Amino acid sequence: MDTFEILKKLTETPGPSGNEGGIAHVIAELWQPYVDSVTVDRVGSLIAVRNGQGKAPRQRLLLAAHMDEIGLMVRQIVSHNGYGFLRVTNVGGVDIRQIYAQQVVVHGRQELPGVLGCLPPSMLPEEKQNKPYDYEDLVVDVGLPAEEVEKLVSVGDFVSFRQPLHQLLGKRVAGKSLDNRASVTAVTLCLHYLAQRTHTWDIIAVATAQEETRLLGAYTSAFSQRPDAAVAIDVTFGKGPGVNDANAFELGGGPTIDWGPNVHPGMYRALKEAADAIELPVHTATHSRYSGTDAFGLQIAREGIPTGLVGIPLRYMHTMVETADLTDIERTGRLLAEFITRLDDKFLESLAAGMMEEK
Amino acid sequence: MNELIKKLTEAYGPAGFEDQVRDLIQPEVAPYADEIKVDALGNLIVHKKGDGSGLKVMIAAHMDEIGVMVTHITKEGYVRFTNIGGVYPRTLHGNRVRFADGTIGIISTEPLADRNKVNSLDKHFIDVGATSSEDCPVKVGDAAGFWREFAVLGSRLVAKSMDDRIGCVVAIEALKRLKETPHDVYFVFSVQEEVGTRGAQTAANALNPDVGIALDVTLTGDTPEARPMAVSLGKGTAIKVKDTGMIAHAGLVKLMRQRAEEAGIPYQMEVLEGGTTDARPMQIANAGCAAGCISIPCRYVHSQSEMVDGNDVENSVRLLVEILSKPIAL
Repeated sequence: MDTFEILKKLTETPGPSGNEGGIAHVIAELWQPYVDSVTVDRVGSLIAVRNGQGKAPRQRLLLAAHMDEIGLMVRQIVSHNGYGFLRVTNVGGVDIRQIYAQQVVVHGRQELPGVLGCLPPSMLPEEKQNKPYDYEDLVVDVGLPAEEVEKLVSVGDFVSFRQPLHQLLGKRVAGKSLDNRASVTAVTLCLHYLAQRTHTWDIIAVATAQEETRLLGAYTSAFSQRPDAAVAIDVTFGKGPGVNDANAFELGGGPTIDWGPNVHPGMYRALKEAADAIELPVHTATHSRYSGTDAFGLQIAREGIPTGLVGIPLRYMHTMVETADLTDIERTGRLLAEFITRLDDKFLESLAAGMMEEK
Repeated sequence: MNELIKKLTEAYGPAGFEDQVRDLIQPEVAPYADEIKVDALGNLIVHKKGDGSGLKVMIAAHMDEIGVMVTHITKEGYVRFTNIGGVYPRTLHGNRVRFADGTIGIISTEPLADRNKVNSLDKHFIDVGATSSEDCPVKVGDAAGFWREFAVLGSRLVAKSMDDRIGCVVAIEALKRLKETPHDVYFVFSVQEEVGTRGAQTAANALNPDVGIALDVTLTGDTPEARPMAVSLGKGTAIKVKDTGMIAHAGLVKLMRQRAEEAGIPYQMEVLEGGTTDARPMQIANAGCAAGCISIPCRYVHSQSEMVDGNDVENSVRLLVEILSKPIAL
């Protein structure tokens, strides 16, 4: 498996929150060879099940990696000198400072290439010259006359960012939507590794929908699948100039295993033991309450689900140049596979017993 | 329809205190329902059975309105209060509230040096005509809604609590006109939307619908210096794509649009940048459902004079009936 090629295909496929049909299709094709069933649920999450080799009824682990990405949506069509321009709003956590002068695709009646333009600073009123643009200043220009635009585009159409994945020198890659296609890639690698190994538990691989807006797919898939345990995989903050605190991690230094009230301590320990068993470097990330990931929804579905969280270090999150290290993505896949092969029919008992031990 | 709008908008029903509204809706829907119940939170759930070939559809229109609650009564008989839901201080001074028993109070505010500024909520008080705490007819914990009469201004209709009694009216009218449906339809007149879409959440948990459609008001961009928004009063019902609480199911949005076009119903596509509706909890309840919202464009939302256009209301009813009377393929 060529990690770069998988990641390239995944990051370059549009899939803003609420419009995941296209990316779900690509992921379904990638996962198909390794799983026994693939379905899309009522909110758009892709749910793939790989049966374990244990005796039925088997215990089930849910892996959640969200497939949606931040994007934009048309909120108004305005005309200027006969040409049509689109005013947009954010879908998910878009940083307005990062989107000016980006290329986009407008998902209208057909796909329209466009750019995010604005008046040059010298032509703006003085009070705006040294400030970031706001949504009132920015327009998407698709280069067409207003009447053409009116025919092809309507308010509510999605707009996705367009950026090819770049391989930097070494193992670093930069592009859009590595949050969270890096994790979808890691789950893909995990399924590939599992195909060559033995595991007793069933694996429910879920590419969740609408994480960026409300963790929708995590809550709903955990409810419908009712797994015995779950692991969310998402990006975490990478160290870099000016980003050096204890909750940022070196690119290429290995994935994080997360700790705090949002994860089950036994899941943390089991993931850590799996990493140690194969001498895979990992770091502990801590969250004092909300992890900002699918783990938050998974944990409280139904009667509660023992949940773990694995992170892939990423610089420049929520920009078009999100940067990660391919090695960390591959290690995350290996870590998940190792963790899964170690799961046995005593695992849930050991989790429960671990909670009763005197610390 | 105006008579029903008048009756419902003039009713008392701050969030958590919806019983008077529920008592008015119940006789309206009873002749058309296969089954009616009130759940533990107070949602009124009206079931219209399908022919077994369709989906389970939940329609939600909230009965509650924003209001105030008494927190303290001064020796002199003035009433201090807190908000129930999104009450804006600038809408208060000189306006009137009404308590469950009909007691009317006048809202005023402490003096402010700069008359162009607005005092915060805690610097306002209600005068119910009492002379001391002893003869004050209201007590701590009593809730009040705004009080203002319904008015017809040509095709425009003005009332307090159009948000969301107009949604209730759309639901009632659609139920009345819906002769046959393939779907198991549950019209939920929900409680506590204004304090966190709480009634629709429990109703959706209980009903577990395949499709959830909220009926609620949305903002417009057609008043002087309004924040740009491509929705205007009188230009049709609004099909929501996104608000700050949820992104509607793409397939459901497409279907709504298709039904509107087939039937020649004027519609507008809505992207709302402030607020959300009962569609939000429906979307995430249980294993999730295909959620969307038919919106009624409304000016001056959360004031005592919320304005809608009667044609938009009619078109919203027509669209809902079109959707419910035909198969839904998502």
